[in-house]
Amino acid sequence: MEVRRDILWRVYLSFLGIAALSCFVLGRAFYIQRVQGNYWRSMGDSMHQRFIPVDAERGTIYSEDGQMLSTSLPQFNIYIDFKADGLREKNGKIFKENIDAFSRSLADFFGDKSADQYKSELLAAYKNKERYYAFKKKLSFAQYKAFRNFPLVKLGRNKSGVITEVKPFRKNPFMMMAKRTIGLYRENAQNIGLERTYDSLLKGKKGKRLVRFITGGVAVPVDGYEIEPENGKDIITTMDVNIQDIAETSLMNMMNKSEARYGTCIVMETKTGKVKAMANLGRRPDGTYDEDYNYAMLTTEPGSTFKLATLLSVLSEGKITTDDKVEIGSTGKAFVGVRDVNDAERAPKPILSVKECFAHSSNIGMSKIGFKTFASQPEKFKEYLHRFRLDTVTGIDLVGEDKPHMANLGKGASLKDLVTMCFGYAVEVSPLQTLMLYNAVANDGKMMKPYLVNSVQSNGKVLKQNQPVVLSDDFCSPSVIRSAKECMEDVVKEGTGRPAFKGMPFQVAGKTGTAHVADGKLKYGDGVYQASFVGYFPANDPQYTCIVVIRTKPHSPLHYGGQLAAPVFREVATRLYAMYVDKKNSSLYAAVKDSSAYFYAGNAGNIMNVFKQLNIRYTDSSMQHTWADVYAKNYEPIVKPNEVKQQTMPDVKGMGLKDALFLLENMGLKVVPNGKGKVMAQSLSEGSAVKRGLTVYLQLS
Amino acid sequence: MMEQTNIQTLQHPLKGWHRNLHQHTRGDKVIWALVVLLALVSLLAVYSATGSLAYKNFKGDTEVYLFKQIGFIMAGIMVIYFAHRINYTVYSKVAQVLFILSIPLLLYTLFFGVRMNEGSRWIRLPLINMTMQTSDLAKLALFMYLARLISKKQDVIKDLKKGFLPIMTPVAITCLLIAPANLSTALLLGASCLMLLFIGRARVKHILVIIGIALVPVLMLIMAAVIRHKSGNDDATATKKTSAGLFSRVDTWVGRVENFIYDTKDADNDDSYQVNQAKIAIAKGGIFGVGPGNSTTRDYLPQAYNDFIFAIIIEEYGLIGGIFILFIYLVFLYRCIRIFKRCPYAFGAFLALGLSFTLALQAMINMAVTVNLFPVTGVTLPLVSMGGTSFLFTCLSIGIILSVARNVEQESSLKSAEETKAL
Repeated sequence: MEVRRDILWRVYLSFLGIAALSCFVLGRAFYIQRVQGNYWRSMGDSMHQRFIPVDAERGTIYSEDGQMLSTSLPQFNIYIDFKADGLREKNGKIFKENIDAFSRSLADFFGDKSADQYKSELLAAYKNKERYYAFKKKLSFAQYKAFRNFPLVKLGRNKSGVITEVKPFRKNPFMMMAKRTIGLYRENAQNIGLERTYDSLLKGKKGKRLVRFITGGVAVPVDGYEIEPENGKDIITTMDVNIQDIAETSLMNMMNKSEARYGTCIVMETKTGKVKAMANLGRRPDGTYDEDYNYAMLTTEPGSTFKLATLLSVLSEGKITTDDKVEIGSTGKAFVGVRDVNDAERAPKPILSVKECFAHSSNIGMSKIGFKTFASQPEKFKEYLHRFRLDTVTGIDLVGEDKPHMANLGKGASLKDLVTMCFGYAVEVSPLQTLMLYNAVANDGKMMKPYLVNSVQSNGKVLKQNQPVVLSDDFCSPSVIRSAKECMEDVVKEGTGRPAFKGMPFQVAGKTGTAHVADGKLKYGDGVYQASFVGYFPANDPQYTCIVVIRTKPHSPLHYGGQLAAPVFREVATRLYAMYVDKKNSSLYAAVKDSSAYFYAGNAGNIMNVFKQLNIRYTDSSMQHTWADVYAKNYEPIVKPNEVKQQTMPDVKGMGLKDALFLLENMGLKVVPNGKGKVMAQSLSEGSAVKRGLTVYLQLS
Repeated sequence: MMEQTNIQTLQHPLKGWHRNLHQHTRGDKVIWALVVLLALVSLLAVYSATGSLAYKNFKGDTEVYLFKQIGFIMAGIMVIYFAHRINYTVYSKVAQVLFILSIPLLLYTLFFGVRMNEGSRWIRLPLINMTMQTSDLAKLALFMYLARLISKKQDVIKDLKKGFLPIMTPVAITCLLIAPANLSTALLLGASCLMLLFIGRARVKHILVIIGIALVPVLMLIMAAVIRHKSGNDDATATKKTSAGLFSRVDTWVGRVENFIYDTKDADNDDSYQVNQAKIAIAKGGIFGVGPGNSTTRDYLPQAYNDFIFAIIIEEYGLIGGIFILFIYLVFLYRCIRIFKRCPYAFGAFLALGLSFTLALQAMINMAVTVNLFPVTGVTLPLVSMGGTSFLFTCLSIGIILSVARNVEQESSLKSAEETKAL
């Protein structure tokens, strides 16, 4: 028993030892928790959790008719980690088994390299153990979807080492169209165009998200620690894709024909100042044209188009009328006050009326009347130019507008400069600035500020609606405006614009311009011209004002404004007239007709309620009207107002019977429906006058 | 040594299936219950901790490891069952054979084994294609053999030449063979054996001398660590790392000791990273834990499902959970001491004591490593860490302990039956 007892105390002692050890373990754990707890917990958080920025979606730029001009699409960059565990394990078994099939798939799908090329590239990178091998860049979503199912790639990130990064990129669905105006959004360079002007709105606000990093570099969001990014606002421009297309193709045709250096064409809605199109084409070394610079805002010596300013100021002085005669002479050359002036085209007769001087673009005539009026008071001419806003920027919502330059007309002004300015030299203005003045005349003396953005929207809600801005409505008296318009009509009827506009079905008014260019390296002797035409149509009720400016190549056989620019203007005017002026808003109805299956009408509140309930995104342009139509545009419903006026038959097409009955019977009409579904046809056409008791037949689908 | 006679004729009052279960799973019921409890804990903890491993290997199919663990637990219980059905006296003979077999096996492993985590500790078993840590087998064999030797040499155990040295020799052989690949296991094994010798009435003086001898290399390690830290020179480590073979292991040891002594908190080092993560897990757990399956540290803590599972348990179940686990091991140990007290035969008594004390010690060491009381070793938490051969060997030990318990029970019921008869 002695032995047993000897053993027993030893056993208990050992047991106590182990128990003591367990107490130490516990004590230590307690110490870690209580004493060092905060340190370790915060260390854990800082090691595995991080705030990462969440990019906001950049807003989309739309045309006025709802087409996307610039939008963000996801783009996929593919990298390969050749040290990925799965790829390396078992001596690269997976890699070796899949590389052939993978290379073949790549070669078949992308077709840019052969399977062998792909294979050798991959093998080399594998050998170098590259961790972040840039493999494919800028894959579209469709390409990425296919790529995801390739051999190796489909094994997942751990096995294949394939790392995918999503980067949004800016896509202009209409490619080159109005690229300079819409602008470029670039990561490593300054934005241009609208992308820059409205960058603060488009870019939105970055959000923040707390994420925890787990195995394989995967980040898992931590609940409750997220600041949502504020997505960028959408910009609805005033541009119209169709008009832009017309302007661009018309210009392009002439550019190709004349091999000109560059050209620009701006179309403006006369009444509002909305810029509907702004095309800029510059010649590239290979002879093609690209939107490489916004020439519309580049100031140059305008030449004869500036004569409108001369005419307006001379007429405003009231000493000369358009019917006064001016002696031009028959040599095409004359001494005007202080200098010799040449006419580019020989005048038809030696004595012309002021109107004829303008129509035939006589430099001599225009400088003579200018000199006569302002030689004693050049600062007065300067004042007029200031009133016409030719000494300042238009204020268009597009960055990069140049300020006009002109010779000194103030104290110590040179009369030579005054004479020269009368026919458009010694002054530099941009096509857009010229256009604004012509538009103001076309708009009966109301000078509209050109603008490019209709509204700023967010998820279809209008945040800011831009309204046309009148810059000045008293820069000229109505009689002067009327005279100037007559003069411009005469340009086309009998003057320099006559050949180009022969046989037009509607009347155009405008002014040609042919400037001899001396600019930087170019000397007048280099034979480079700037041909322009600026005007409006139809002359009796101006809808659009347009300027075309083309800078020729040296010694180009075609260089007159009437030869180069006027035909472009004619083409633009003709096509625009057919599409818009003739039946204004035809595009609006076309959109409705196109998607007749998707056309509903009814109470605006109810419609929007339905969309909200179904979580459908929609664009609200109902502007608080009670009744609304819904039609689809870009796969998104748009709610547009259905104006209902008293005593006028409303448009109930597309409504359900309940809404139609409510609306019509409230107006005191008798309704006889036939069929069921949506209203297809109504017996009284919309807009016709109605009175109580009238019967309306409705055909339902 | 006494041969156990068949006493199956004895009928138990319980009937039917229940009686069957009762009949077949003999031994200490409490130990059985503790085993099942630990297995359940391991199921929960492993399932939670293997999440990121499942992502890495099975594309997030986390059930793979759950079922794997269930499989291991089933196999383990089978092992326990069969082991405890075997008469423990058989183990006495098996111990001798197994020990002799283990020596060439360890040698083979040392030179031709599968290298994992730098140390050559594993051999791949043919047919079942599983890697096995030979030290697990050697350990078990040594403990069984030691129990045999101690029980046989009780009379001369206080004698250095006749008793102590013959017992110490096999211990030294095994430890030295394991040490190059797995120093911590060797040290732990040595410590367990010394504890066993202490319990087996060996002279404390002898034991202290052995400890002194063993401390020499340990002290050298510590010195090396101190020197390396003082010089703080990365070039030295670089040159050391290039040295091939067994010496490369020395570097790892020095590094671990260095990390432990100086408590380097920077995470660029694997070991200190592990320890720091374990501490983060413990700190996050608090008293009541973050709840089952809510561990976040498991994604960063390497070996969360294995050596560091205790950290995950504390994180998910809190200090309370940790206390519970510790308590289970202590109860287990206490029950085994009870078996020892009731076991009339020296071999059985020492077998039960040896195996249970080493298991408990291993558990304590594992937990001590987790809470950074000890430097990082490669010791698993018995029955809780994710399966593998070590899990099965642990089950085998428990089976053997239960075999002893079963015999003790039969013995006493036989005795009580005789007593009733006498009455």
